[in-house]
Amino acid sequence: MSELSVNHLLGIKYLNQKDIELIFETADHFKEVINRPIKKVPSLRDITIANLFFENSTRTKLSFELAEKRLSADVINFSSGQSSVKKGETLIDTVNNILSMKVDMVVMRHPNPGAGIFLSKHVKASIVNAGDGAHEHPTQALLDSYSIREKLGDVAGKKVVIVGDILHSRVALSNIFALQLQGAEVMVCGPKTLLPKYISELGVKVETNLRKALNWCDVANMLRVQNERMDISYFPSTREYTQQFGVNKALLNSLNKEITIMHPGPINRGVEITSDVADSNQSIILNQVENGVAIRMAVIYLLASKIKQ
Amino acid sequence: MNILIKSATIIDSKSDFNNAKQDILIENGTILKIAKNIETPNNYPEITLDNLHVSPGWFDSSVSFGEPGFEERETINNGLKVAAASGFTTIALNANTNPVSDSNSHITYVKTKTANNAVTVLPIGALTVGCKGEDLAELYDMTTAGAVSFYDYKKPISNPNLMKIALQYAANFNGLIQSFPQENNLVGKGVVNEHITSTKLGLKGIPALAEELQVARDLFLLEYTGGKLHIPTISSAKSVALIKEAKKKKLDVTCSVAIHNLFFTDAVLTSFDSNFKVLPPLRTKTDIDALIEGLNDGTIDMVTTDHMPIDIEEKKVEFDHAAYGSIGLETAFGALQTIFNTQKTVDILTKGKQRFGATSTAINIGAHANLTLFNPEGKYTFSNNNIISTSKNSMFLNATLKGTVYGIIANNTLAINQ
Repeated sequence: MSELSVNHLLGIKYLNQKDIELIFETADHFKEVINRPIKKVPSLRDITIANLFFENSTRTKLSFELAEKRLSADVINFSSGQSSVKKGETLIDTVNNILSMKVDMVVMRHPNPGAGIFLSKHVKASIVNAGDGAHEHPTQALLDSYSIREKLGDVAGKKVVIVGDILHSRVALSNIFALQLQGAEVMVCGPKTLLPKYISELGVKVETNLRKALNWCDVANMLRVQNERMDISYFPSTREYTQQFGVNKALLNSLNKEITIMHPGPINRGVEITSDVADSNQSIILNQVENGVAIRMAVIYLLASKIKQ
Repeated sequence: MNILIKSATIIDSKSDFNNAKQDILIENGTILKIAKNIETPNNYPEITLDNLHVSPGWFDSSVSFGEPGFEERETINNGLKVAAASGFTTIALNANTNPVSDSNSHITYVKTKTANNAVTVLPIGALTVGCKGEDLAELYDMTTAGAVSFYDYKKPISNPNLMKIALQYAANFNGLIQSFPQENNLVGKGVVNEHITSTKLGLKGIPALAEELQVARDLFLLEYTGGKLHIPTISSAKSVALIKEAKKKKLDVTCSVAIHNLFFTDAVLTSFDSNFKVLPPLRTKTDIDALIEGLNDGTIDMVTTDHMPIDIEEKKVEFDHAAYGSIGLETAFGALQTIFNTQKTVDILTKGKQRFGATSTAINIGAHANLTLFNPEGKYTFSNNNIISTSKNSMFLNATLKGTVYGIIANNTLAINQ
């Protein structure tokens, strides 16, 4: 049986194309499972997983927890607000304390880039990165690609524009790596203040005009403006941002083709996209959420099978 | 101290004996005789070492220990052992202790504590009270105690008027002002060089512009005020160009570059290893090429190890939270020798002394013996076992270096590595 080339999922840039294919094939199977009347398989009855969230999250945390429970893993949850982290304990100590309770896998969200990589060098557990600062959010990128594949049949050859705050976005970075690995063309679009100066060296197109970007693409992935990560105002007001980078139905209808709209959530309705766009049949936002569970089941299942070896 | 050094190749472009293999007889700390095959008089101890080379003692313009206040990083005693073992006979010691060294009594403490050592310590005083960047420290009073320069270590003076006044005021007594080249507003929350690597890693970038703007500002100020300015640890190609222009205008400016900024690019950061977290950050190959050219054409006056011991508690954490700095004394020679030949390496390591008020003497008969002993051959992988610093935060761990240091003879004292 094929297996992943890695022991942790720390970022898309550490995966190869075969890994992604394997994850998608496995997710196909689990997507069928979660649509059965009994949405559960006994695969991971002997595995214990700790979800460590050192940063706020609603959907990613729920999605991981549901994925773990549908695989019959034992699950413990931990958020930094309730932990000793605020008392000055180091990350390694916190995690090692939890691992002493015989935990096999750690799903971690953390505000600092590279936190998962750092941890993987210092603790004995399989690590799944659920978002580390502005670095990577690999399961989000996987579920995004999976959703494009589901909607358009294939990712290769497709044109995908990522719109919004690229500078502070782990979703953008993981998506760029994932889409390129599968042969898609990628463009980033946003105000120049929110585009990293050297982003074009990643082999992506750069555009600051939303209409041009939308006319170019097959899929538009609309990112949320991450006010919480900004140390200074990168644009004068939300109103002005929306005027230039918000997608509404009139704009969509005026394009020369029908494009697919995605959003990693949570949506600021009326900012990045209006309600009529979010709820339109061009939007696959809720499919992304459903696919998120299947993708995370696949990732956890594949990593757990390496632990068992 | 009386000693006879046997068959040592002398590397000193200012010496009559440059590149000659000679015996060197030292009596009471002075070079009495340089010749082939000197007979040992009065049972003086002899030094015979494999492929022994001797050069004038090396100098480092930016070294940090931790005493007082951060003894867990490094003590003065062990720090001086590290310096001697690494071939440095003279070091300028930064004021970044706790409390910071910002008064006559602090400078006196450093002078007293480091007296009678093989290594000569030149204390640097803080430029502002408490290194807070608000009010000038008592610069003249510190000068009378032995301070050779004034520098708020790694803390930029953001107020241009304060820097203007510092340059004007210190000019009264020929004081050397240092200004850390960094415009903090442009740094923001940046932790590494802003470039493709920072983009890939999601780490906040520090644009080279943040350094260049401050260098340009300080050169404008210096042109207005007169006085003596040293810009420590430049790292970008444009900074080199700016200083080159200023020197053409005959401004009294010198600058240094950290050895690690010549050795590593920011590409090493992909492992998120916090030992590579330094200020100024590691930059690109283009910058390295310009820095090396600047060293070759004299725009850059000296290199420094920018030796900064950090204990493991402040390094073995998430990259964003790790403290800045790397130790560098122990790897200086071996790293430079992978970039330059031995003669050039020695030239570089002996430059800058006069700027910091120390004398530099060539290896000649009658001169005071201030020597570094080394073997320029032999490649090796630098590892934890090579580190005698209290803190082990070396970014050169696992790097291939060339040449080893045997020790120093200075201040009438012999310090040879066992």
